This record gives sequence, C-alpha cells and structure tokens, in this order.
Amino acid sequence: MESPVVEEYLEAIYKLAGDRKKLGTTELGKELAVSPASATEMMERLVDKGLAEKSRDRGIVLTRRGRKAALDLIRRHRISERFLVDVLGMDWKDVHEEACRLEHVLSPEVESRMTALLTKTDTCPHGHPIPDKLGRTAEPPARRLSSLKRDQGGVIAKIAEEKRDLLEYLATLGMMPDAPVRVEQVAPFEGPLLVRVKGATYALGREIAEKIWVRENEK
Amino acid sequence: MSLSCCGAVNEMRGRTDFVFALAGNPNVGKSSIFNTLTGTGAVTANYPGKTVEINVAATRLADLRIGLVDLPGTYALGAVSEDQWVARQGILDGNPDVVIVILDATNLTRNLYMLLQLLDMGFPVVAALNLFDQARKKGIEIDVGGLSRILGIPVIPTVATHGEGLETLLGAAVEAARASRGGGSRACAAATPASPVTRYGADIEQVVSRLSADIGRMLNGRAPHVGVRGLALLLLENDAQFTEIVREADQGPELLRVVQSAAEQIQREHGEEASLRIIRERHGLAGSIAEQVQSRGRDRELFSQRLWRLTTSPLTGMPILAAALAGIFAFLFVVGDFLARAFSSLWALVLSPLIQGAIHAAAGNTVFAKILIWGPDAGIQASLAVGIPYVLTFYFLLAFLEDSGYLNSVAFLTDRIMHRFGLHGRSIIPLVAGAGCNVPAIIGTRVLTTLRERTIASTLIVLVPCSARTAVVLGALAGLAGWQWGIAVFALMGVLVAVSGVALNKVMPGQSSGLVMEMFPFRMPSLKSIAVKTWHRFKDFIFVATPIVLGGSLALGALYETGLIWKLSGPLAPIMEGWLGLPAVAGLTLIFAILRKELALQLLLTLAIVRYGPHTKSLLDFMVPAQLFVYALVNTIYIPCVATVAVLGRELGWRRAAGIVAFTITLALLVGGAARWGLRALGIG
Repeated sequence: MESPVVEEYLEAIYKLAGDRKKLGTTELGKELAVSPASATEMMERLVDKGLAEKSRDRGIVLTRRGRKAALDLIRRHRISERFLVDVLGMDWKDVHEEACRLEHVLSPEVESRMTALLTKTDTCPHGHPIPDKLGRTAEPPARRLSSLKRDQGGVIAKIAEEKRDLLEYLATLGMMPDAPVRVEQVAPFEGPLLVRVKGATYALGREIAEKIWVRENEK
Repeated sequence: MSLSCCGAVNEMRGRTDFVFALAGNPNVGKSSIFNTLTGTGAVTANYPGKTVEINVAATRLADLRIGLVDLPGTYALGAVSEDQWVARQGILDGNPDVVIVILDATNLTRNLYMLLQLLDMGFPVVAALNLFDQARKKGIEIDVGGLSRILGIPVIPTVATHGEGLETLLGAAVEAARASRGGGSRACAAATPASPVTRYGADIEQVVSRLSADIGRMLNGRAPHVGVRGLALLLLENDAQFTEIVREADQGPELLRVVQSAAEQIQREHGEEASLRIIRERHGLAGSIAEQVQSRGRDRELFSQRLWRLTTSPLTGMPILAAALAGIFAFLFVVGDFLARAFSSLWALVLSPLIQGAIHAAAGNTVFAKILIWGPDAGIQASLAVGIPYVLTFYFLLAFLEDSGYLNSVAFLTDRIMHRFGLHGRSIIPLVAGAGCNVPAIIGTRVLTTLRERTIASTLIVLVPCSARTAVVLGALAGLAGWQWGIAVFALMGVLVAVSGVALNKVMPGQSSGLVMEMFPFRMPSLKSIAVKTWHRFKDFIFVATPIVLGGSLALGALYETGLIWKLSGPLAPIMEGWLGLPAVAGLTLIFAILRKELALQLLLTLAIVRYGPHTKSLLDFMVPAQLFVYALVNTIYIPCVATVAVLGRELGWRRAAGIVAFTITLALLVGGAARWGLRALGIG
C-alpha cells in the first residue's frame, strides 16, 4: 500500500482523467487544494515510483500500476461506505468522511472480511460503481451508435469490425476507442447518420454506425 | 487521355526545374490552387485499374519552370483505400522535390494528421494554410509563425479562391527544394524528426529509434524512399506494401521479426495494436499542436452553415432536394436546348455548306461523296445537336454542385433509397444526370468506389431516358397519340429502373459498401475553378465521342447510300412484325438510332413519306397509337447510343459493356412484346 498522500494524488488523477482534457499540475493542485509547486514535486515522485507519467496529448496520466492503486483505493472507500451504512446502520449522507479515513488503513484481510458481510457490492450507497479486485467496474453498457438520436453523444467503446482496412480508415479520421462522438442528424427512413468527430462532420451509413459501440458520456 | 502516372510525372520532370506535389484532405481547396496556378493545360494520368486520377501540369515562377502534381484528396497516406493508395504512389513514384500540403485552416487538427505522416516519411514539406479567410470569419485565429516553428517547415497562409498567397507559397517551396537538394538525399534522413516538437510519446519514440538503428544496419542504409524513421513507423503500422518490400531484402525476414516483437511490446504496454496506437499518437500530436497555435473566439455559425443544416434536416432537406433536382433538370433542358439550337444553326449556316462544297469538289456527286458527307457533316452535326450542348451544360452543373458542397447533402438524404439498388447516396447525381445525357452520367459514376457499384449505376443510367430519347417519346408519341401515352412510357421506365436496380443488387456478387463521407459546409465555388474542371472533363468527352460518331456515321452512310441497309431489313421481319407488331422498316430506323436516338423519329417520318407519298401528314397513317407506343418504348430501352456504348466500354471494360448492351436489347424485346400483347388483350390498338 502507498502512503495516504500518494493515494490521494492517484485518486485525484484517476478522477480528473475522466474529464478528457489535458491534465496539468495546476488543475491537479486545485483539485487537492495544494500549491502547483507541491503538485509538481509530488508528480515527480509518482513518476519515479512508476505510478504516473506525462503524456503528450493528455498531460498527466496513470501507469498501469498507478491505475490499479487508484482503483484499489476507490474500492476500499466505497466498500467502507457500504459497510458503514448496511452493517453499522449509519446514514449514507454521513459516511463519506469516515470512509475517507478508513480507505487508507484497511488491510486486504479486513477488506475481504468486510466484503463478506455485504450482500450488495456493485455500487456504493451513493450509486457509484465499486471496482472489483481486477479494477473492473460495472460500466454503463455500450450502445450502437446507430441507436443514438439527434444531439446524443458519447465516447466510442469499441468498433466491432474484423476488416483492418476499415478499422484503420476510421481510425485515421479519429474514429477509434475513447474518441468522443456526437450525432448531429439522422437521415429519414433509417438512413445514415451525421456524426461529429474531432471537429469534422461525417455521414456514416447504417451498416457502419451499427458496428460502432458508444458509451454515453459519464456525468 | 490517359497516361501512366510515372510516365506523366517523368515527362514533366524533363521539362521543368522543380516538381512539387500537392497533397491534402478532400475539399481543402487543393484543386483550386492547382487550377489557379496552372490554368487549362493539365494532363490527366492514372494507374492501371484505378479510377482515381492525378493531374499533372506546369506553371512558372519568375524564370523557373515548375511542374505540379495534383494528388487525390485524402485523409491519410495509408494503403487502405484506392484514393490513398494513388496519392501515396503518386508521391513515391513522382519523387517530387517538395510536397506542398494544403491545410484547411478551419479544421487544423484533422488536417495536421497527414502532414505529420508526410514528415514521418521524411519528405521535404511546405504547408499552405488555406481557407484562411474562412477561419477568420469563424473566429479562429492561427499563429502562423508558431505553427511554422513547431513543425520546422514553412507555413504560408493562402486564400486559393482569390489567388492570395500562392506566389509566396511557390517561392517557399522553391527555397525548400533548393535546401533539400543541397542537403543530400532523404534516404539517410535521421531517425529522429527534424523538429523536436513533432515527436510521439517517449516509449513509442524509443521503440522507433531502436528499430531505426536495426533498419539502418540490416538494410545497409537502403531504406526504400521514406527514410529509416518513416520505414520504422510504416512497419510498426503493419503497412502491407512496405512489409512486402522489406520481406524481399536480404535480411528482410529477420528485420520483420524484430518489428513484430517491437509491435508486440507496444501492444502489451498500451493494450491496443501498435498500428492503432501510432494512429492515436499522431492524432494526439496533431491535436496538441493545433491547440498551441490557434485561439478560438466564439464559434460563430455562418450563414452557409445554417443553410447547410437546412439541406440535411429531413423536414426541409427533402423539399429542397426535390426543388434542386427540378432546377438541375430545367437548367439542363433550357441551357442545353439553347446551345443545341445555337450550335446547329451555326453549323448549318457556316460550316456545313463549306464541308459539303469541299467534298463535292473533291469527289464529285458520286455515291462515295455522299458517304463522305455522312461522316464529317451529318455526324458532327449530330453531336453538336445532342451530345455536346447537353454534356457541356451538365459538366458545368456537376462542377458547380461538387464545389459548392451540395452533392454531399444529397448523398446523405438519398443513401437509404440507393441502398435498395446496391448503391449508396453518392449515386443519385449521375442517375439524375442521365436524363440529360447518358455519357457524362456514366463518367460521373467515378464518384463510386467499387466496380460493382459502378456497373449497377451505369446499367440503371442507360435505362434513364436521355434528352434525345425524351424527344422521340414527346415528338412521336405524346404529340401524335396523346400525352397519356408519353406519361405511360416515362412511368414504365421509372418502374424498370427500380426493378432492375433491386434485381441487379440480388444477382451481382458482393454487397454495397458502407457510406463514410465527410460533410462540408457550403462554400462559394470559384468560377475559374468550375470552368477549368468543366473543360478538363469536356475535353475527355470530345476525345472519346467524336471519332466514334464520325466512324459510325460513315459506316451507316455506306450502308444507306449503297442500298445494303434495305436488304438487312429482311431478317428483322420476324421480330418486328411477328413479335412487336411493327412494320419491318421501322426496325431499320431503330438500327440507325444507335447513332443518335432521335434519328429514329426523323427517319420514320422520311420512310413514311417515301412509302405513302408526300401527302402523308403524320405518322398515324403509318402506325396506330398502340404501335407508336411500342415503338417509342423499344427505342427508349434498347442499346444506348454509340457514344454511350463507347464510354461504357472505356469505363467498365468491353465485357461489361457488351453485357449491358445485351441486357437492354433483351429487356426492350421483352417489354416491347409484353406491351404489344398486353394492349391487344385489353382491346387497345
């Protein structure tokens, strides 16, 4: 287990990464209420430990290990909340602060015994998904792009296509997993869709839009 | 006129001081720049078996002669689609001194992708930041100097439609070409990019530089064309063409094993295929560069964007489409008809007497002279009356529609209907154009990607009554027997087009390709660009059609003047009289009509006069309305005119052209016969 400070940083980076903006130490400092200078200093420690790195396009990102550590922390926090509400009978509005302390001290042994007492382990009392030991969360299910209506959007989850040519062609246009897309218009009679990707608009035939799976924007 | 790409570029190299290639995304004004710089002297070249063409032409800058190669507009330089393949091959084969990349200033992020790819391949690049005025209007400010510094290449803002910045652009390209000639060949380009800012993520760069070293060692510095860094990236991207080239080198197979383990490493670290990871990194880099140099004000919606939204919204789009189609049809009819009259009377007044006089002076009043007159006189007059005016008008319209961006809206709206025919939205325009003249419409099917789509579309186009066939239907049938007969022919043709489309889609192997098409906001097209485009295509048409019309006219003239044609009508009797219930001589007029469809009508009148004497007032003495109906129907369906057959052969190959001809003859006989027996059963006629 990492020190509580390191864990708080990892959690903050993990949560901010969902914003899909370039993450810098300024934003990170703001989130954790510390100065940019100390955020920068901490960032260097995280890089040394192999928990985070700087990427060109997205700024600060977690490494695989860093992501695992962040998800472990989130799981301990949310399991604690569940335990406090379901087993100890506390009010769910009050449990967040308690869980913030517990999340740093639970050993894996205690955690799994607490989990054993719970019947519901997929979400915390506030409705957030609880990641499992492998870091998987019950993510919102993906939908076909073709099922979206006008002005609906999301993030591409996967493209169910075997043909490399088409996959690469779509990728060069920016249509690849993790890319945000938005439906601008749907042609009549089950016709093609107008889809906005990376500042350009494309007409996509149904047969192609059906292969693109989209997860709706997380709030 | 078609040349091999290599040949055309090499020929150009011999005549010029520098050769530049123009590359860029579709619809960024690349062709506008090319046309503005070079005028009408371009030569079109293509690769065998490919329909996407490149244009080659020369221009001057002060006392320098400069060759320009206009590559097809593409989003990237992979080998995954025909246009990309041709663009890439054009650069690799043409080996230009500089690649000028035209960027759309209104969408820098997406446009920088291909520029980065070209830099990766080690080509000397100069960038034109086109549509600079449009970007300003939309509230986008771009730091041109900053962009140039980051990329390490000259960047010139341009407004192609006004010719702004083009000379500066050529000047910068000449400078870059001189610098690169001085700086040695690009085969020994360094493993790291020229500008330190244009690098990908550290781990990718590490893999690339290690692989570059391996390539240098294993291929003994003979990296094909693209430099070691370029080759390393291409191999990691699993590029089919370069993987094959490397496989054939001495240590190639070993190198490919090294590449594979490097690609696997990337995949392990990033959880996605190396090729996709590199694409993702390139997008990321393009995005971050764009972000650094552009500041967006309030994103203003321009009038053109609002108009565009109206044309793609289902509620307003369909009525606008209907109005536009009617407009196209009316424009073709009015302007085409005007030109046809003007050309014909000019010919009849001035040139025809001259040619006839010359032929008679040379050959006297012999049968031979009469045959000769059929060729240059009657033949050319035929194409002046029907082909040329409508073709010219249509090409003008097509260029206007393409440049304005409306074609894309149309394709979007009609995609669904066209799918039933195994086509997609982009085929609607050639189909509509077929009503003017089949010839340009068939050439227009080049916008479709597969041969299957082009064959289906061309077959359907042949069934669309062109203006000449409409003339027969209106003149011979609606005029004499009543308008309802004319409507019946058009309605029947509509049904035939739909049924044939659905049937062809079932019968032909393969399936329709999906639609992936960028939609552009409307732009005001430049008249010069339209004029040049129209002329390029029109020139092509003249070269194809004129010799055939001349030859066909001469052959028919020989048959007619020697009287052979009458002997040929004997074998037609069983079909014409027995099956279709028409006079056998009417079959002859149908044969003549292969040359010019409306000739059928004129000849029928002539024959009627010959047969029944000068008192014959109308064809009704000759045939009853039901017969005229069958006649007009058969004339509309069977073999398109000889120019159409020629263009079918050239565009689709002679085997497919023969297939389409056989199909239309069969269909004409079946439908004609069915109409005759059907009408008889109903007690009409």
